Amino acid sequence: MSTEKNTLRRTLDRLFVPLTVGPTLLWIAAIIVYPTLKLLWSSVFWQNPISGEKQFVGIRNFTELLFATGSQTGVFGLAPDFVSITWHTVVYVGLSVSISFFLGLGIALLLDRDLLGRGWLRTAVIVPWVLPYVMSGLMWRWMFQSQYGAINGLLTQSGLLSQKIAFFSDGTLSMMALIVADIWVFTPFIIIILLAGLQNVPEQLYDAAEVDGAGRFSRFVNVTYPFLKPSILVALTIRIIFDIRALDLVWVMTQGGPGKSTEVWASWLYRTAQVFNRPGEGAALGVVLLAVTFLIVAALYRIFGESPY
Amino acid sequence: MSTKRSTLDSVVDALGLDTEDEWPYIVRERLLAYALLAVYVVVIWFPIYYILITSLKPTTEVLQIPVTFVPSHPTISNYIEIFQNRPFGTFTLNSLVVAVTTTVICVTLGTVTGYSFSRYDFFGNKALLLSIVGARMIPPIALIVPFFSIMSNPPLIGGLTGSLYDTRIALILTYTFFNLPFAVWIMKNYFDGVPESLDEQARIDGCSRWEGFVKIILPMAKPGIAATAILAFIFSWNEFVFALVLTSSPQAQTLPIAVSLFVADDFVDWAHLAAGGMIAALPGILFGLFFQRYIVSGLTQGAVKE
Repeated sequence: MSTEKNTLRRTLDRLFVPLTVGPTLLWIAAIIVYPTLKLLWSSVFWQNPISGEKQFVGIRNFTELLFATGSQTGVFGLAPDFVSITWHTVVYVGLSVSISFFLGLGIALLLDRDLLGRGWLRTAVIVPWVLPYVMSGLMWRWMFQSQYGAINGLLTQSGLLSQKIAFFSDGTLSMMALIVADIWVFTPFIIIILLAGLQNVPEQLYDAAEVDGAGRFSRFVNVTYPFLKPSILVALTIRIIFDIRALDLVWVMTQGGPGKSTEVWASWLYRTAQVFNRPGEGAALGVVLLAVTFLIVAALYRIFGESPY
Repeated sequence: MSTKRSTLDSVVDALGLDTEDEWPYIVRERLLAYALLAVYVVVIWFPIYYILITSLKPTTEVLQIPVTFVPSHPTISNYIEIFQNRPFGTFTLNSLVVAVTTTVICVTLGTVTGYSFSRYDFFGNKALLLSIVGARMIPPIALIVPFFSIMSNPPLIGGLTGSLYDTRIALILTYTFFNLPFAVWIMKNYFDGVPESLDEQARIDGCSRWEGFVKIILPMAKPGIAATAILAFIFSWNEFVFALVLTSSPQAQTLPIAVSLFVADDFVDWAHLAAGGMIAALPGILFGLFFQRYIVSGLTQGAVKE
């Protein structure tokens, strides 16, 4: 009896790793690997929107989206839509990430002190990031609203402006509103990651630098930055790849408009696949997005000279 | 000590508090830090304040010029109306069911798998861990096409269940897609910080691997589990893209979708949208206010390598 129990015990022990790792691997295979393979598969088919019939088209979905066809003329033979949407994405991601990075770095350096009430201050700066992006996007759409929005209200009622601004009727102002919302939502993330990184800087090095008479800037460059570099890399990588894929803010604030002036990759992909019901081309865009994401990660790790994980 | 005059110096002068000796550098620097942080906090909280007061204004006051920054007749009628005129009870229930189930699945699998990755050197563990981490980089939106077709016509179980489109199950399955790799990674890093001597001690005391894990290691891992659970819950609760693609009716639509539905083609019902938005934001605000420590530690464990 007891030997039987022991055998069972030993068998279970030997199976510890397969039993703890196996289910997760199967789950991941079903929910990540399989859909990703299916994405590649779907990207080479064209689906008739009415009959639903599928037809193998090779790389035609890619070429039609990316390259100019027929009478179109584009830079380097690229499709005009592709070029302009890519440009919007670069502007949106580039400005949001860089502004929120420097803002977040500044706040993190301020919060890294031994301030009274630091816990509460941290809490206060983190909250925007934990709200649903949809709610944050709509909140900013309301802030920028042309008649009753808080920003127009503040500007006109304080006498700074005589006329209200219709932010969302103008492409550039719409993009600006999106970028403001994006910075508001994601700066807390930068703050959290950089604050954690700042804990790795040895206190004595600061003291030593002070004794050497190093100014604040040179202290940052020579003492803080080398220790902070891994965290900066993580913060930037995640920030950039999450911004390229972000649909929430764009979709609830501008839907890519007015016209196509704020259409970015994520909204283009969603519109193609779901609104226009063209899954083949949507999948092709998904493949491109996936490839770009991995290229960006590889490039960032190259630039910072670290190996990814 | 620097002889340069800063803005703060002038403030200190104006208050008649100054001399360099009485106001050591560090005090002035700290005051400046407080001032900057105070401005920042006020600016970032203002939109939250504005949407909150919008939710408390009657529609007539919301659409009134000049804009009021303190509601003149605060009321909770917007909140009551969205539960009466729209199925906000169902939306909230959907959000809860989806977020809680996703969290339980991801925390359970993430904890046991993270532990094995942390402790055991099994075949292909490095490569497997790397691919799990890599999976986190896959943009969910890139996969809306395959997920839409898989959920509309699920393979293997399709004959049993029929279409999963517009069900909570579809959302739960897709939400594990980005939460499970994250959970494994956070927990693996967390267990790396739990001393291995504890495992050995348990073994010496005659515990099997399972007993040692459940009785000795799991209790030590509570903070890590809490952090993983809170983040998985927030990510699932807030998710919008898959909910937009995979649901179409109140039987599965979650709060983020419900809030976006206040936007009609030309007209936005801002007063009620604000109330719905506040409800959708509530768990985030509560978690942010009371569990900030766990959010920070989870994100840090999950983001920073090793």
